[in-house]
Amino acid sequence: MDTEPPSVLSSPLPLLGRVVATERRPNTAFEFHFWTALDAPVGIGSIVRADGERPVNGQVPIVYGVVTEGLSYTDLQSPLHDVLGHDGEPSHATAAATERAEIRLYSAAVLRQIPEEPMQPVPMGRVHLADDADVAAALRMDGYLRDGESRGIPVGVYHGGGVESPIYLDADFLVGPEAAHLNITGVSGLATKTSAAEWLIASLFAHFPASKGSVAAVCFNVKGPDLLFLDQPGELDERDRAVYERLGVPAEPFEKVEYYAPYTARGYTLNTLRSNEALSANVHPLTWGLREVLQYAEVLLNRDDVDAKADALIDFIKERVIDREFTDPLLRRPYRVQTFGELEEWFRDLLMAIEGRGGGGDSWRTHHVATIRKVRNRLSNISTRCAGLVTDDGAVSDLPFGNLSDRTVYVVDVAMLEEDAQDLIFARVVSKLREHLERRDLGVNHVVVFVDELNKYAPSDGPDTYVRKMLLDISERGRYLGLVLFSAQQFRSQVHRRVVGNAGSSLYGRMDADELSTPGYAVLSPAIRTRLATLDRGQMMVRHPHFTQPIFMRFPRPAVMRGRDGVEQYPQAEEPTLEAAILRSLLTLDRSLSLSWVQDVIALASEEEALRARNVTLLARPADVRSFFAAQFRAVVGARTPGRPVVAPALRVLADDDPYGF
Amino acid sequence: MDPSFRSAQRTLQGWAPDLPLQADGGAPLETLGRVVEPPRLLAAPVVEDSALRARPVGGEPEVGFLAFLDGIQRSRVLAYHDGLPVVFGVVAAVIRLRVNRRLHSWTGGPLVERRIYLPLAYLPSELAAHFRAAGLDVVDTTAVGPDQAIPIRHPLALLDRAIHLVQEDREGAEQTLAERWCNAERAPIFIDGGLNKSELVARSPNAVGVVKSHRTLYVEGDALDQVFRLRGGERSSVFRIPSSRRTPVASWYLRLRDPAGHDPLFGLVRVEAADAELAGESLPALTARADRLSRWILAESSPLSLPDGRWDRMVYGIRDCEEYLRAVI
Repeated sequence: MDTEPPSVLSSPLPLLGRVVATERRPNTAFEFHFWTALDAPVGIGSIVRADGERPVNGQVPIVYGVVTEGLSYTDLQSPLHDVLGHDGEPSHATAAATERAEIRLYSAAVLRQIPEEPMQPVPMGRVHLADDADVAAALRMDGYLRDGESRGIPVGVYHGGGVESPIYLDADFLVGPEAAHLNITGVSGLATKTSAAEWLIASLFAHFPASKGSVAAVCFNVKGPDLLFLDQPGELDERDRAVYERLGVPAEPFEKVEYYAPYTARGYTLNTLRSNEALSANVHPLTWGLREVLQYAEVLLNRDDVDAKADALIDFIKERVIDREFTDPLLRRPYRVQTFGELEEWFRDLLMAIEGRGGGGDSWRTHHVATIRKVRNRLSNISTRCAGLVTDDGAVSDLPFGNLSDRTVYVVDVAMLEEDAQDLIFARVVSKLREHLERRDLGVNHVVVFVDELNKYAPSDGPDTYVRKMLLDISERGRYLGLVLFSAQQFRSQVHRRVVGNAGSSLYGRMDADELSTPGYAVLSPAIRTRLATLDRGQMMVRHPHFTQPIFMRFPRPAVMRGRDGVEQYPQAEEPTLEAAILRSLLTLDRSLSLSWVQDVIALASEEEALRARNVTLLARPADVRSFFAAQFRAVVGARTPGRPVVAPALRVLADDDPYGF
Repeated sequence: MDPSFRSAQRTLQGWAPDLPLQADGGAPLETLGRVVEPPRLLAAPVVEDSALRARPVGGEPEVGFLAFLDGIQRSRVLAYHDGLPVVFGVVAAVIRLRVNRRLHSWTGGPLVERRIYLPLAYLPSELAAHFRAAGLDVVDTTAVGPDQAIPIRHPLALLDRAIHLVQEDREGAEQTLAERWCNAERAPIFIDGGLNKSELVARSPNAVGVVKSHRTLYVEGDALDQVFRLRGGERSSVFRIPSSRRTPVASWYLRLRDPAGHDPLFGLVRVEAADAELAGESLPALTARADRLSRWILAESSPLSLPDGRWDRMVYGIRDCEEYLRAVI
């Protein structure tokens, strides 16, 4: 990449127009006007270069600008004159021998001036369309595209006048530490937001500077099958492939993708649309126990319902009861609570003991019995509300925190979960990522978290939820840790402004007119807003700290299978029997297992015991799956195995001289 | 303001630093209406009919012209030297070629001439030399005119003479371009004004002059009524404009727009074309030519030349020439 500013004589592109200024419409240091021929290939969003004609301090000024407004008019003073001229008959207009003199007048916002000092109004001069080198200079990309130390992450191609020029984002401003985060906005249904995120993560993986270490992505699939086939190839046309080649990004699906989903409430299968057996190898269960959930109880508990007293009791349980031996004079035995089941048992015994004691009042350790009942109700309810994710037995299957792999996408499918469970997963996963990044033991140096429907998690209004506070924290401090938020939503104006405001880079797809009328878009010219309302698929407007003005660009279709294609090609598996569900899960560990073997092993076990054995096996990933799985049942059903025959104790024989047995 | 006007003022100031300059050059002299030709009626021999009458042009308007020629002039007083006007005049002419219904300048662009108009008889000759040394042509406004008289030392008389001379220079520039066209091209050209100042142009089968002003009407008596009664799309019989000093031309009146509710000259133009007699043209051929050229002119009545005040008689191609020239001088 040429880093030198292009000289006046170097532009190979034909003359486009001339700078023009009048007293009523003067040029400034930030805006200039130019006219072109009627057929000039220029439009709103085109990047142009104006060459001055007189040197300033010995250097001929070059000004780069992006077209923000276009006007067209004729010498007609009143529309009525045209009507009169054609006798009021529109068909007569085409018969006129001569077309009226017409002008194409454009306004451009200055992107960059060379030299930068002194900053002067744009001089009169010739105007050309920008070529590759001009685009790089205009967007100040030359500062981070130096050979050998490039920090450029391709985001798309700028198209203008038949020229396609690559647009790069600065990695330091995309993933930190200078700035970070990316926000994508646009209306639904135009395959733009999710596609843009998929494309940009692929581009990031391909071009992430070696000096910055490793990077992984954690994506939350919040709707349908959007992100469920990232490891499968998608359809690309020649134009897309050309863009991939131009930008140096492999036109292939992600090489390493791991999927995580909770079980369904019944617990037989994972609650995901990616349930086809052919794709099950990299789909893992996501289950948490009491300890994991209680850490984030705040996410699930209604703040209006749980007051300070309840908070105090929850804190007491977390600190004094969970995962340690708990004894109390009121209780008959020591307790070691590790599962929801054990917690429920502890609550039950405690309440019975409180109610059973005579004259002891309604309190236990300063906690009123009503508060204890309320907390019991709320906590016990969690395993019901988050069934499939939260296990009663405490089995934990989690993302490999501490062992995340470079250039790997971890997809957490929460699309089919209730809102509470989604919030819980989101809060805990992101918090764990942050904890590990703070300790620098996540396994990678940087992690991109992609969240769609951001307006749901960080709304501009409504209660201050745990999730929103956490998103604010990431957006304001994540760049120092390497925790980067790629977020998307339909209406940017409905997202907390500190979240979107901290996004260093922003992409805008086609926008809704109502959204464009909100104050956040007032800085854009009417023509830019109109163009935003008419963008086609794959077209976006990008804002980046190095770009002084928003730039329109196009990105290729992601090289991954679209969600709806994926569910057609890999239809969702039907709800299996218990035996079939267990077999399907265990086959990911040992392909030699058979349905008959599973049926034999679990024949005498209850459904709960069989599922628990499966979960433990999947978590342990033993070398000998058969033995390990079978062993789980021996422990549980051992009491049923025949033991030694019970022999009645022999009657003592009375001594002859002791008739009373003494 | 034409930058060359300022330049001429600086030149003048270089010679006479204390001479008070006209701050803004004042209004263009052309807008002051100083020289007004008196209206008159002149009889001209009718060659197409026994007496002048209205003739329908026949057929639909058709596009025939490839180009349009017009010129403009602008003159302003630089300063008054001893009470006498020193006038700066600029004249320009252009041919606008029609390609794909859009107008472009013909090869070579416009012809632009700038001159100083001085009453040399009453001013020091060094002043003229000073202007010439600065590269400006000087025209003597006190030279003997067509009336064989030297203008009196009255500022208004000298201004009238200056305007007249600027007008002659403008006509000269138009004539130069018209001759270039007739020499170089074989396609019809629409010329604003009369043809007969140049023999080459007046004889050319490709040049058509269209006169918008009617200070002189070439009809008298009943013929005048016939002209006033012309309806939109009608023309008069062809008559001949003879001249002892100039080449005679064929001419006729043509009504571009219906005059109902307007003055009698509304939409009326006078067309000049090569003389039939000189060309050895038969009467039917002359009639056919007059009808064809009239249809060509009628085809130019759209688009309208509004907001120009002469829009009822001015075709858009001529307005385009004037707008172009106003932009470049």
